[in-house]
Amino acid sequence: MKETVISEAELRPASRADHRDLSGVDRAIRVPVLIFFGSAVFWLVIGSLFYLLSSSQLFSPDVWWTFPGVAWLSFGRAYPAFLNCYVYGWATCAGIGTGIWLLSRFNGVTFRSPLFPSVAAVLWNIGMLTGVLSILSGATTGRELLEFPPQSAFILFFGLIMVSLWALVILWNRTPGSTYISQWYLLGAFLWFAWMYATAYLVLDIVPAPGAAQPAVNWWYAGSLVDLWFTPIALATAYYLIPQIVRRPIYSDKLALLGFWGLALFGGWTGMTHLIGGPLPAWMITASIVAKVLMLVPVLAAAANFHLTMKGDFSGLSENFALRFVVTGAFIYTAYAFEGSILSARSIAQFTQFTLVPESNSQLGLFGFYSMILFGALYYIVPRLLNRLWLFHKLIETHFWLAVTGLWLSFAALTIGGLIQGFGLEDPQIPMIAVNDLLEPFLAIQNFAALLLVVANLSFAISFALILLISAPVRHRRTAVERFKEASESTEPEVSVA
Amino acid sequence: MNRLTGLFFGIFLLFGVSWLGLVAYPYLTFAGLRQSKDEATGALAPQGMPGTAAQGARVYAANGCFYCHSQYIREEKEGNDIGRQWGTRRTVARDYMYDQNVFLGTSRLGADLTNVGVRQTDPQWFYRILYSPRSLSSEVAMPAYKWLFQTREIQGQPSVDALKLEGAYVPPSGYEVVPTAEGKALVAYLLSLKKNYPLPEAPEATE
Repeated sequence: MKETVISEAELRPASRADHRDLSGVDRAIRVPVLIFFGSAVFWLVIGSLFYLLSSSQLFSPDVWWTFPGVAWLSFGRAYPAFLNCYVYGWATCAGIGTGIWLLSRFNGVTFRSPLFPSVAAVLWNIGMLTGVLSILSGATTGRELLEFPPQSAFILFFGLIMVSLWALVILWNRTPGSTYISQWYLLGAFLWFAWMYATAYLVLDIVPAPGAAQPAVNWWYAGSLVDLWFTPIALATAYYLIPQIVRRPIYSDKLALLGFWGLALFGGWTGMTHLIGGPLPAWMITASIVAKVLMLVPVLAAAANFHLTMKGDFSGLSENFALRFVVTGAFIYTAYAFEGSILSARSIAQFTQFTLVPESNSQLGLFGFYSMILFGALYYIVPRLLNRLWLFHKLIETHFWLAVTGLWLSFAALTIGGLIQGFGLEDPQIPMIAVNDLLEPFLAIQNFAALLLVVANLSFAISFALILLISAPVRHRRTAVERFKEASESTEPEVSVA
Repeated sequence: MNRLTGLFFGIFLLFGVSWLGLVAYPYLTFAGLRQSKDEATGALAPQGMPGTAAQGARVYAANGCFYCHSQYIREEKEGNDIGRQWGTRRTVARDYMYDQNVFLGTSRLGADLTNVGVRQTDPQWFYRILYSPRSLSSEVAMPAYKWLFQTREIQGQPSVDALKLEGAYVPPSGYEVVPTAEGKALVAYLLSLKKNYPLPEAPEATE
């Protein structure tokens, strides 16, 4: 079992030309990637605790352990603290770390100074810390997913620009030859994220947008954040790791390209589905609904490609933890996108809008699709950076099964509860209080699911701390590497986009 | 290299279209909105928000009220907001033209607040639900915003803003519970939430 965690694909070539020993690249990039990963794990734990707190408060507002009467731990602050820790702390740090690791591997060059992204990582954490403290103290912008005050946002943006520029330089100075689809997604992600983040703060804080333009910009940003930052990062990771681990080239380059351009075309348009019936011109909302449905094209392209790459050979899932997380995340991606497009239909939104159902879809995206793929990435990358093995596979098993159970439990509770809530809200004969009464058992289940997720994330954090602090370096790595070289010569992979 | 340059431009162009449509377009269009003049009375609507209410909007943001309360009314065919008597007509872009912060919201764990200042006109009602939501009904799930109030010794005359509390919520004798400046601003904001003036582009529901 231990063997499979590290020995596989140590030298998996990124392109046909690439048969070099990549452990040098890993060594060179180790510091910044580990700072980003460490930060990601830290904010994951903090974010999970705020998640547990805020979901408990929904369920029992007056119980002492939900801190009633404490302003900075009240629901209206704990909830955005959870959201921002998760989105900008865990998800974004893990994404940046994975992104720069992937780009360096593709590039195969180690001369670019790792100091640059390391400084960016430190800046990012300063921005996060001041941002979260601002939310807790009440100094928030009052805009969902953009709660951080402009000062913190500026620090974050500075860090982001540093990373993005570094990524561009790496990409432009890459080893000559063809590019792989993951590089496309990463280039897009780093450019899009910087653009949307700058736009959001520029238009909402510096030259304030008039009235109803604010929510339009806010949700344009939120939709783009999911579809043009998190999604391309996760897909770039999956497009690299799945062929890598199963040792087969990606099934179809054309499908991969179709998926990329589909995402680029529709990704920026999906946000207004949160504002169906809102005070915006009808065409803006219709455009978002159409985009949300058309997003199924890139989703199905990716799903088909992953599935056909695995070729029905899913036996590796039980042996390889990283693969198991990544493939689970890829499956959830399809479910998430299908549910999302169904919920965007006007006739359905009539009942589900404003309820817990959209929240269940967001969780599917954030906890399921994105986080699972990135957990897989960390399980894959960290041992290679440190040349060490994960200790205690029980912890990884616990992480996986609790994360999956918690996710589906929460999904079921929020969906069923949300539907009941939606039909209740549509019937004016039922008072609001009665509607919320019906929700109580579902919120209780969701609260329990939150606890499972917290334990799952803690297991992951403990694993991470152990490999960082205790696990001993692998001694016979070179022989494993050589063995793989021999194996790879007989089955030469072709994972390049010609 | 050519390929990467093409990719670079593709990435910019495609995202740029959504930027034009969903950022630049509403920005430019809504900046051109003007008040509407009622032909019968000559009244202009909507009106800007008084200063205290604008401060209250920031308290509303700071305490995350918008995570559970929405502030827009959908057309009848898109949802039963009007049936629930949260408003008599849908809200449109012009309704929000003077708002420094627009809190449309995406959740209704709490009631919609578009017209809460029409439904409730007594500041005391707001003080009570903010200070002790369960004193209105034990079923209300809203958190208690105790930090927007202070319990203090009565100096001379009791304050006019002092909360009229009952049962377990009554402060010790000689003491009173009064809203802080933030609490007052928040309630001023909530009282100002009235979108009940007529607008030509959003006729009242006919039923």
